[in-house]
Amino acid sequence: MHPEGKTSLSPRIVDAFMAIVGKENVVYGEQELLVYECDAYTLEKNLPNVVLLPRSTDQISQVVKICAQEKLPIIPRGAGTSLSGSVLAVTGGVMICLSRMNRVLDIDFRNRRALVEAGCVNAWVTNAAKQKGFLYAPDPSSQSACTIGGNVAMNSGGPHTLKRGVTTNHVLGFEIVFPDGEIVWLGTRPDGSEDVPGYDLRGAVIGCEGMFGIVTRVLVKLIKAPQAYKTLLGIFESVDEASQTVSDIIAAGIVPGAMEMMDQMITQAVEAAYHFGFPLDAGAVLIVELDGLAAGLDKQADRVVEICKKNKAREVRIAKSEQERMDLWKSRKRAFGAIGRLSPNFLTQDGVVPRSQLPEIMRFIRQTSDKYGLRIPNVFHAGDGNIHPLILYDERDPQQVKNAVAAGNDILERCIELGGSATGEHGIGVEKIDFMAKQFSKETLDAMKMLRRVFDPETRCNPHKMFPGSKRCGDFAGKKQISA
Amino acid sequence: MELKPNTIAELSELLACANTRGEKISSVDLAALNRVLEHKAEDMTATVEAGMTLVAFQNELRQRGQWLPIDPPHPETLTIGNLLSANSSGPRRFGYGTIGDYLIGMKAVLADGRLIAPGGKVVKNVAGYDLAKIFVGGQGSLGVVVEATFKLRPLPERETFVQKKCNSLAEAGTLIEAVLDSELTPVVLDLHNTSGSYSFVLGFAGTNEEVAWQLDKASALGVKEPASLDYDREFWLQRTTANKIAVLPSKIIEAVQGLNGASFVARVGNGVIFHNDTTAPKKADLPLHLFQRLKDEYDPKHILPELTL
Repeated sequence: MHPEGKTSLSPRIVDAFMAIVGKENVVYGEQELLVYECDAYTLEKNLPNVVLLPRSTDQISQVVKICAQEKLPIIPRGAGTSLSGSVLAVTGGVMICLSRMNRVLDIDFRNRRALVEAGCVNAWVTNAAKQKGFLYAPDPSSQSACTIGGNVAMNSGGPHTLKRGVTTNHVLGFEIVFPDGEIVWLGTRPDGSEDVPGYDLRGAVIGCEGMFGIVTRVLVKLIKAPQAYKTLLGIFESVDEASQTVSDIIAAGIVPGAMEMMDQMITQAVEAAYHFGFPLDAGAVLIVELDGLAAGLDKQADRVVEICKKNKAREVRIAKSEQERMDLWKSRKRAFGAIGRLSPNFLTQDGVVPRSQLPEIMRFIRQTSDKYGLRIPNVFHAGDGNIHPLILYDERDPQQVKNAVAAGNDILERCIELGGSATGEHGIGVEKIDFMAKQFSKETLDAMKMLRRVFDPETRCNPHKMFPGSKRCGDFAGKKQISA
Repeated sequence: MELKPNTIAELSELLACANTRGEKISSVDLAALNRVLEHKAEDMTATVEAGMTLVAFQNELRQRGQWLPIDPPHPETLTIGNLLSANSSGPRRFGYGTIGDYLIGMKAVLADGRLIAPGGKVVKNVAGYDLAKIFVGGQGSLGVVVEATFKLRPLPERETFVQKKCNSLAEAGTLIEAVLDSELTPVVLDLHNTSGSYSFVLGFAGTNEEVAWQLDKASALGVKEPASLDYDREFWLQRTTANKIAVLPSKIIEAVQGLNGASFVARVGNGVIFHNDTTAPKKADLPLHLFQRLKDEYDPKHILPELTL
């Protein structure tokens, strides 16, 4: 690295990469590299020196060995849908993009598992399994684009994690290329038992934000698709009443498949974009999806309706058909996209609070919105206490950019104070580095660094992420910001 | 050296001291750390000290209609710490998974006495690495877990077990396939021979309606004789450890055939068999060099017990 900390790459090395992956799979040249300057977190940007699009684990291992020899940073990348700068090439380096390794390799229905390449898009797994009545449970809102490898790196969630858990609960094992080029399988093998003796290195790697190596093939669990769904839409006068409903449903011993909330501002934007039929004057809408065996589901739905009514729901609708259910979920999952109608730019936050603190954090967000004079609509995984305040701003006004960042920080700090976390599913990346020391002791952070040393002693894999003191991009608050 | 600390701070000091001298720790008794620190039923989470027994913990949770859905052998004496370090599980594993699926945060003291607190108290949290995972099944070789926070489940309205005695393994195998192909969602899917013949056991949990519907379906497949999980308790009453075979779930019948009639309990859905057969179990293909690096990193002087495989 030269004095400014930027990586330099000689043509000789680029030639070596071309010889391994093929010339057509090497992206080199500033214009072509622009696509790779950031993920969906657009406040910090930087170009990698080169992007490689390998087609096999073996190619990745060869490339990584060259990087090891030349001491080059490696940045693994899936679809680039992450929201916290987890795939940002902070000091440049060699970006290894898994998008051309995207096949579903094998589905073993009898043993309820599927083997896929890491670049396989999340939704493709369920698409491939559903004709036999199976699905892959974690369903991030970006599931039509994000990759399974990226999900492993981020330990991704989604609306349906309330009942079924997140990525780590559904990934049996995977093949990974470590930063020295070694290829290792961790966890359950495709033809092996789910019971693996020794340390759970599989679990230790999931959620490492691509800092331990490059995941190349993943063995995921398939679950039987629920026999029946009951999807309810509760319409409330206020976010407080909808939040209380969430707590009361949990307290009643009901664990829905998903419980998602949208406040008034989001509901209006979603309605304008997708015309689902949401009321424009409701304070909040709550989606409650019950799933499982058909027997008894109606009775459970009745109880949920009762709890909604007790909390002064104006109306509770029940999806009458699978089409209506799909439309409802489409509206929810595309909510972020509808924000373009409200504001040129927005900053998404991803805090978590204990479920019972939802009313408190929602009040705090309203205060924060007033304090900074920025609108902050909310759409979130209420059942998990995982909030997604969307801070609206206009990048052309530097004060607004500053305020948006400050508002986000205030909200995340409050989440931590309430016993929660600065991130429920988007990760630390470069964006939330400053929160690590607020959430964890120095000893705990040191113990995390020890884990990293086991896999990447040279800290070359996805460097300058997660830990306080990491190098930041000089280029803060972007020049070519897009409205997501 | 045996440790019996009264507080976390004391354990920290004892370990720091032993580490400086390079003294080996043979056991850590956490009996003094035996309280539920917090049970937030409205959040479906609880924090418990590692010296508490699983039974005592479950009893407290039950008062507010919840439980930790993990059912390993010897819950009366098994502490939360040992449950984590051995990654124990029981018959309900098919329906609920293992302890790692419920662990959302912990406190642990490392070999040099440092107290760490990975994870947190909320059910969804990806801040930092998922460091708690290396202590699950780690046999106390990387540090001493002193506190754990779990996500919980509501107690099911009803839980019922039914079985069918099978005359042959072939018959059991056919039945297993029929159940897996059906719409049933059992929480227990076991095969055992502890009562002489082969018994295929199903457990159903959930609302009254769900369970009743499944009992009907199971009955249509011939699985209808009322049962309990006593076979599992009795199997473990006679022993503290058993040999274990872990296979691809579809190979379970084949694996049982190889046991030469020894006493066994098989978790059919998970591909795990506990048995009496003395033939040496097949060693799995494991990344031992990485295990070694992990141990060297967290316990460089090797004062804590070694991982045994």
